[in-house]
Amino acid sequence: MKGLNLGIVGLCLLFSNPALSGDINAGEARYAQNCGNCHGPAGMGLASYPKLKGKEIPYLIDRLNTYRAGTKIGPNSDLMIMMAQPLSDVEIANLAAYLNAQK
Amino acid sequence: MIKKSKLLSAVAIATASFIAAPSYADTMNTPDISAMSVMNGLENPWDMAFTNDGDMFVTEKCKGLSVKTSSGSVHALAGMKDSKGYASTFNDLFCSGQAGMMGVALDPNFNKNRRIYVASTSNKYHGSGCKTNFEKCDGNIIMRMEVSKDMKSVSNRVDIVKDIQYKPFESDHPFGGPGAHNGNRLRFGPEGYLWATTGDRHRGVVPQSPKLLGGNVLRIDTDGKAHPGNKPPRGFDKRMYTYGHRNVQGIDFRPSDGRAFTAEHGPWQNDEITALVNGGNGGWDPRPNVGGRGDCPDKYCGYMPNQKEGMLPAKRAQFMPMSDTRFSDLMPPAWNNNGLSQGTGSAAFLKGKNWGYWEGRMAVGIMGIGFGGTPSGMRIDVVDIAKDGQSIKSVIHMPTGLTKRFRGLRLGPDNALYAAVDEGEIYKITATAK
Repeated sequence: MKGLNLGIVGLCLLFSNPALSGDINAGEARYAQNCGNCHGPAGMGLASYPKLKGKEIPYLIDRLNTYRAGTKIGPNSDLMIMMAQPLSDVEIANLAAYLNAQK
Repeated sequence: MIKKSKLLSAVAIATASFIAAPSYADTMNTPDISAMSVMNGLENPWDMAFTNDGDMFVTEKCKGLSVKTSSGSVHALAGMKDSKGYASTFNDLFCSGQAGMMGVALDPNFNKNRRIYVASTSNKYHGSGCKTNFEKCDGNIIMRMEVSKDMKSVSNRVDIVKDIQYKPFESDHPFGGPGAHNGNRLRFGPEGYLWATTGDRHRGVVPQSPKLLGGNVLRIDTDGKAHPGNKPPRGFDKRMYTYGHRNVQGIDFRPSDGRAFTAEHGPWQNDEITALVNGGNGGWDPRPNVGGRGDCPDKYCGYMPNQKEGMLPAKRAQFMPMSDTRFSDLMPPAWNNNGLSQGTGSAAFLKGKNWGYWEGRMAVGIMGIGFGGTPSGMRIDVVDIAKDGQSIKSVIHMPTGLTKRFRGLRLGPDNALYAAVDEGEIYKITATAK
C-alpha cells in the first residue's frame, strides 16, 4: 500500500512538471515562429520535410534534444541543429505536446 | 471676414472634392486580386499544364500525373511506383527528397497529337552509374506520352531524354538528402521547342561540365534532339541552351519579345532572375579548389564557407558567388533576392488586360526557407523587368492573401494565374483591372 502511494505521488510529480507534460497552446505559438515554414501547417509535412503531427511525445522530445546537442540524424541535420539550439526544455516539451495533439 | 470664411470653405470643398476625385488606383490601373482553391487534398502538387479548353494536368511529386477536366472530373493517368488507382503505373518512376514527378507540358499541337511531356526521376537508366555520389548518374528523364481522347488514360510512353543527372545518396550538406537539385520544369517556347531545366544535383563538377546534363537549360525538339540553333561552347552537349546554373525551376518567355527568363534557387545568400543568352553561362561553379576555394565537404562548395549557421550574405556571396564574374560568358542576373535565398522556384509572365498595369510582368513563386536569420518567403512577387533584361524596375508582392509555399505557377487559358502550393492545393488567382 505504501509503495502504491509513493507511485501515485511520483506520477503526480511527473505530470505536474511542465517540462514533461507540455503546453499545447504555447507549443503552437512556438511552432508558428519557425517550424511551420518547412514542416507546414500543424506539422503536416511539406516537400522533403517530414510529417510531425501525431508523433509520440518521447520521440519528438528525443529528436529535438538530439539536435539541440548538435548530433546529426538524417540529411537535414544542419538545419535542425540550428533551429533546435535556442530551444529550452519547456519549449521542447510544448512543441512535442502540440505536435502530438495534431491528428 | 465672411468673405475669407467663404473662401476657406470653398478651398475646403475643393480639397474634399479633390480627395474624393477619381482615385490613384484608376490612374494606375492596379488589378484587384482574388484567390480561390480549385483543387485540394493533393500530395505535393508540383506543376500544371492546360489545354485551351481549360483541362488542367497536374503532377504530384510522389504519386503521378492526373487531369482535372474542364467539366470538373479528375482522372489519375500515370502513377509512379507503389501509386494506386492510376490508369497506368510505371515502376521505374520514384521519388526521393526533392526528386520525383515534377514538370509537365503539353505539346503545342496537343489537340491533334495528344502528346504530353513529363519530367520525373527514374531508375531505368542508372546502368553502371549511380554507385556513389561522385559519378555519372542518369536518374532524371523526360517522357513523352499520349493522352486518350476521353482523358482517362495515357499510352505510347517514349523517354526522349534519359541522362539528366540525379543525386543518389545523402551527403554532408544542408538539404543533403538524396534527390537534391533536379530542376525539371518543362515549358514550350514560342518557337515550338521544349525547354527543360536541370539542377546541379549537389555535385561540384556538374554545372560547368560540357557533357553532364545538370545545371542547364535544355532546348530540344519533341524527340529529345537538340534545337539546331543552340550555341553552347565547342565540345558541349548540343542540347544545352545555357549552362552553369544551380537549380533552375522557374522558366517562362516574355510575351513582348519571346525571350526566355529563369527564376532560380540560390545558395543560401541569393536567388536570381536571369535573361537567358543562347550558349550563356549562369556562373555557378561549386567545384572545390577553383575560384579561390579549397576543399569542401563531399567535393561541393555550394553551402560554404559555413554550412552550420547563418552569416552575412555578402560574405557568402564573396566566397561562393551564384554568378561568378570570372566567366567571360556570364549571363548577369536581372534581379537578386536582396541577399536572401527563400526558395524562388517558379515563374509565369502575366498576360491579358485583366492584369492592368502588371500585364507583361513576371510573377515569381517563392516557397519560403526561414533559417539562419532568413525571413521566410511564402509569397508571389510581381517583377517588372527592364527591356534589355539586365535589371528590374520594380518588385511588388502580389496581394493574394495567401501565405503558402508557392511551388509552381502557370498562366491558364483564361489568363488567371494558377499556383500549386506544397500544402496540397492549387489556387486560381484572378485579376480584374478597373
